[in-house]
Amino acid sequence: MRVLLAVFRNELSRIFSLRPVVSVVVIAAAVYALFYPQPYLNEALRKVPIAVVDQDRTQTSRELARQIDATPDVSVAKVLPDMPTAQREVYTRAIFGILVIPQYFERDLLHGRVSPIALYADASYFLMYQRMSGAVTAVSRTLGTNFEIARLVGLGVDPPVAAAATDPMPFIPVPLFNPQGGYATYILPAAFVLILQQTLLIGVGLLGTMPGGETAAEDRVGARLSDRIFDSIGTVGGKLLAYLVVHALIVSTYLIGLPYLYGLPRLGSVVTILAFALPFTLAVGALGLVVAAIFRRPLAVQLVFAAIGLPFFFLGGFAWPAEAMPVAVRWVAQLLPSTLAIDGLVDVAQLGASLSDVRREFLGLWLLVAGYATIAVMIEFSKRRSAPAVAAPA
Amino acid sequence: MKRRDQQRPGFSLVFWREIAWLRRRPLLLMLTIALPLALMFLLTAILSAGLATRLPIAVLDLDGSELSRSIIRAVDATPDTAAVLHVAELSEGRHLIVARKIRGILMLPHNLERDVFAGRRPEVVFFYNSQTFTVGNLVLRGANAAIPTVAAGIRISLRTAEGQPVEEAQAAITPIPLQTHALFNSTLNYVHFLLAALLPAVLQTVIVTTMAYAVGLDVETRHRFTALRRLGGGLLPAMFGKMLPYTLLFLSMLGIADVVLFKVLELPLRGEPVVLVAAGFVFVLACQFIGALLALLLRPVAAAVSIATLLTAPAFGFMGIGFPRLGMNHFAYGYGELLPGTWYLMARIDQTIRGTPIDLSWKPVLVLIGFVIVLVGLAAVRVLAMRRSNQGERP
Repeated sequence: MRVLLAVFRNELSRIFSLRPVVSVVVIAAAVYALFYPQPYLNEALRKVPIAVVDQDRTQTSRELARQIDATPDVSVAKVLPDMPTAQREVYTRAIFGILVIPQYFERDLLHGRVSPIALYADASYFLMYQRMSGAVTAVSRTLGTNFEIARLVGLGVDPPVAAAATDPMPFIPVPLFNPQGGYATYILPAAFVLILQQTLLIGVGLLGTMPGGETAAEDRVGARLSDRIFDSIGTVGGKLLAYLVVHALIVSTYLIGLPYLYGLPRLGSVVTILAFALPFTLAVGALGLVVAAIFRRPLAVQLVFAAIGLPFFFLGGFAWPAEAMPVAVRWVAQLLPSTLAIDGLVDVAQLGASLSDVRREFLGLWLLVAGYATIAVMIEFSKRRSAPAVAAPA
Repeated sequence: MKRRDQQRPGFSLVFWREIAWLRRRPLLLMLTIALPLALMFLLTAILSAGLATRLPIAVLDLDGSELSRSIIRAVDATPDTAAVLHVAELSEGRHLIVARKIRGILMLPHNLERDVFAGRRPEVVFFYNSQTFTVGNLVLRGANAAIPTVAAGIRISLRTAEGQPVEEAQAAITPIPLQTHALFNSTLNYVHFLLAALLPAVLQTVIVTTMAYAVGLDVETRHRFTALRRLGGGLLPAMFGKMLPYTLLFLSMLGIADVVLFKVLELPLRGEPVVLVAAGFVFVLACQFIGALLALLLRPVAAAVSIATLLTAPAFGFMGIGFPRLGMNHFAYGYGELLPGTWYLMARIDQTIRGTPIDLSWKPVLVLIGFVIVLVGLAAVRVLAMRRSNQGERP
């Protein structure tokens, strides 16, 4: 216990006195909080510019173009004479889709014939493709339905019967959670968890590789095996406690403050979120101790972990479904606190899950805490054995 | 020391010194070879499937009729969705969604079949989780394709029951059929869309941070810095002699990634390979000089590496692949403009999946060349300024 408190105090003072550590754990966390969300703050992609190649040039074809332009997702930026011209505009990224309304579009419609239109949508950016095809499909369906109803009514069918005949079984998609389909709402809760992991991991990695961490060891003369084991446990425990204390503020800012600031919906209770964050923070801290022992030099930690965030994010099974990953990758992913924490914290905060709903992730994180902390204790213990009783005072 | 006297100072001396240095420093070798390969391998493994198919959904079938079963079969038959289980209650399904066991719930109401044929327009409701964006959209796409198809069948049978010929009925139910063609990536493959962009994005961070470190090693101690310049016999030979070994290494990493993408994962190469390689070359150089400039401006090395990380680690979001730049605010758009990766990805998409005509392909390459010229200029100015202050301090 004495060791634990001494290490705790020492580590706490090191966190704030070592400049590189402060800049990663505190300053970088603050900068990312403002910097990272910037691309997504508009939430939705609106008014994707497309061109209309109107070969019909009638009242109805212009009405179709007007209705498409009126949707929030797409805007008709250009009316172009032919496909080759329009294709070049797609290549220059001035527009991202081409709607072709063929000649006799109106005439065929009025004569009760099939009157097809075609959308060529740029699929090199999926979100644009999705917006364009969604909007144009909806408009063409609505317009088509109106024509069908009008025809049926013209034939003497009662309007309600005509409506039932054109749409006998309406399909109602209901998005649960994130009902606006906002991009920031989707990506930020997960990204925040990953940023927390990255900054804490690098911070602890730096602390463990910079000088001054061993001072609290103060090996007792002729320490017995059991003493050494207890000292190792105390050291790891003290360090983890120090990271927990420092990170408590940052974690609550990221998981509660920032979502509030950016207007992300939150269904879960603050207490549940923080309860879930506890094993996450401990697991990352313990992993950081292992990382420090592996890399041994502060610069190596910084450099290796600089680019690792992006693969870690995709391992989380959030942006890309875990079902589609190879099994081996899925197993590796479970070793990262972020994988379980992204699932669990998003469920708790965004979907309003209770701790029992996410018990698999919650217990999994505690398992990671136990696993990494044990490894950290073993490393600490072997350090003590290899450097016994540094300076037995004469 | 003798060999140094024999060799004339110049580009090649610095170049070979750097290579010898690389061989003696395992960390540098790891950062330039092992780390990028490992990270790119990991990303490739994650996304290698390219398509997420047959995502599990549950069915709440309150009708149990012929019609409800045919709807379930249709939803199960789309490539996107698989109807894996039946639930008895909506709350049960909701729990399963939260636990990610299923990705959506299809609810078929009581008396669905009876009401459909009585013209009462019962609603088929599909609940999905749009918190997980990609997956939510995929299952919605599946349901959206299947259910209107079933509905169209009903509409045709309603009409044929009235005595309308089948062909006429088919024509009548969709007066304005829309043919949607996905340009450039017609299978909507995530390998060609996302992975092909992620690999250079990871490399961008690796290059900028590694160069901040490698150049920082020279800048950190004054005698090394002066030695470098003397060995180079001039500012530019020294600078490029220092940089080029890394350029070759990083280009090889990019090359390995591209060979895997083109040969194994079937990324199309519809444009000009020459333009793609040229763009890759200036992209690597631009990233290198950003790292070098940070090392020249900031000390100690750790600070330069920190800032390099801060600038490039979140860069992927700014490059407009997942969320297009079109939808970003001014700051994010402007920051994206300053990243070499934004322009390289444009050139890359142009030359791979798009097959952009050559006369429209040059803009991103020219911008990258512009980056390199400006960055080399800034680095040179900074080095000259440092030399002046060094000389000023000398007794």
